[in-house]
Amino acid sequence: MTPKYLGANGVDGMEINGIIYQYTAVKDKEDDFTVTVQNKKEGGGYVFQDREDWSQKYGMTIRKAFAMPYTPLATFKEDGGAIVTTGTGSVENAQVVYLHRFNRCFDPQTDPNCTGYVTPLPPEPPEFDLYDALDDEFVEEATKELDQDLIDKDKKKEEEESEEKEEEENLETLLAVGDNPLTMGDDFTQSSIIAQMNAALNISAYYKARIPSIVYNEQLVMKEQKTLGNSKRILRSLAQDQLHNQMVEAQYQ
Amino acid sequence: MKNFIVTLTLMLAVSPVIAENIYINGDVESRCSIVQDTAGRWGNPSANVLTTLPASGGQVPIIRFDYSLANAYYASISTPISFSTSPSLSDSTVFTGVVAVTQTSSSDMSGYQAASTTPAANTRQYALTVAGTTWFSATSVATHGGGNSTPFPSGSYTGIVVASCIAM
Repeated sequence: MTPKYLGANGVDGMEINGIIYQYTAVKDKEDDFTVTVQNKKEGGGYVFQDREDWSQKYGMTIRKAFAMPYTPLATFKEDGGAIVTTGTGSVENAQVVYLHRFNRCFDPQTDPNCTGYVTPLPPEPPEFDLYDALDDEFVEEATKELDQDLIDKDKKKEEEESEEKEEEENLETLLAVGDNPLTMGDDFTQSSIIAQMNAALNISAYYKARIPSIVYNEQLVMKEQKTLGNSKRILRSLAQDQLHNQMVEAQYQ
Repeated sequence: MKNFIVTLTLMLAVSPVIAENIYINGDVESRCSIVQDTAGRWGNPSANVLTTLPASGGQVPIIRFDYSLANAYYASISTPISFSTSPSLSDSTVFTGVVAVTQTSSSDMSGYQAASTTPAANTRQYALTVAGTTWFSATSVATHGGGNSTPFPSGSYTGIVVASCIAM
């Protein structure tokens, strides 16, 4: 007997309350022969055991029924059922039938009508990884501004923000002077000393520089020293003067 | 004193006689019960034969005796010697029957068959010496026409197996 014959949930809640067995003892009357029908118990011992002594008796078919208190199926050891014989003879057409019931309240939580049923708490909502498209680098790349004006505008904005930030920091520094003037004074003193030292080094390099005294002679010689005049220039100039005068006079007409 | 005696005499003289029946009830449950385990059926392997043998299409009736007292009853089982209902028969019918122990609830009953008696030709009687349950089979064969092998007329045939618990 295994739970699979009693359904998928054959162990939990299944209880045995009776056993009927039947077999035919085949033997000669004068032979000694015993037959024991038994079920081992989980943890040792037997949950059911019945022995029939056929010694010096005619062999024939026997059928016996036993009532039991409701015994959980789990008490019966799996594969612990057996028909054990001793002596001369054999057992044929053996059948063992277990009378059972299903105790649906074995686990009270299976049925709200069972005693001890506790209304279960609602399950906790599952946590989902929400997708934020604004955090997606591919979306960000796809929606990147391509208009140069907009880009420049953003850069300008960033620069303005950077300048504002810098001014705030300077202001904070100045305000911090009041809190720690000695420290700031030391810093300014040291900075001025270092600056003077650097300036002296920089100027001394010029003092030490030597410029070679080389004479650069004129290499280009202009062969023709005559300046060419433009004969049309005087006429054009006069024409312009005349036009100018006409325009001035036109204002008074 | 004299007046008292006279008065008592008068009272006794006029008092009526009163009688009442008081009943005692009781029930006795049978310690032996008989149950039909399997119904019987005649098969008709040949025209003039009716038999309960399964090989011939019949079914042997099984009778179960449940008895809670040992050495208190006899189980008496009789096979049919005539049809209780049948078409009109033109010839004689010969009945034979065999009663046997088929199952017991204890190996101690295995000697019932050997110890049984036949108080009548068609009756077998068993001494129920061990409390428990015993199953008996009653095989019946009816042959029509004797040596002439006259066919049974068509119709429905019924026979009765009588099983009884008889107090020792």
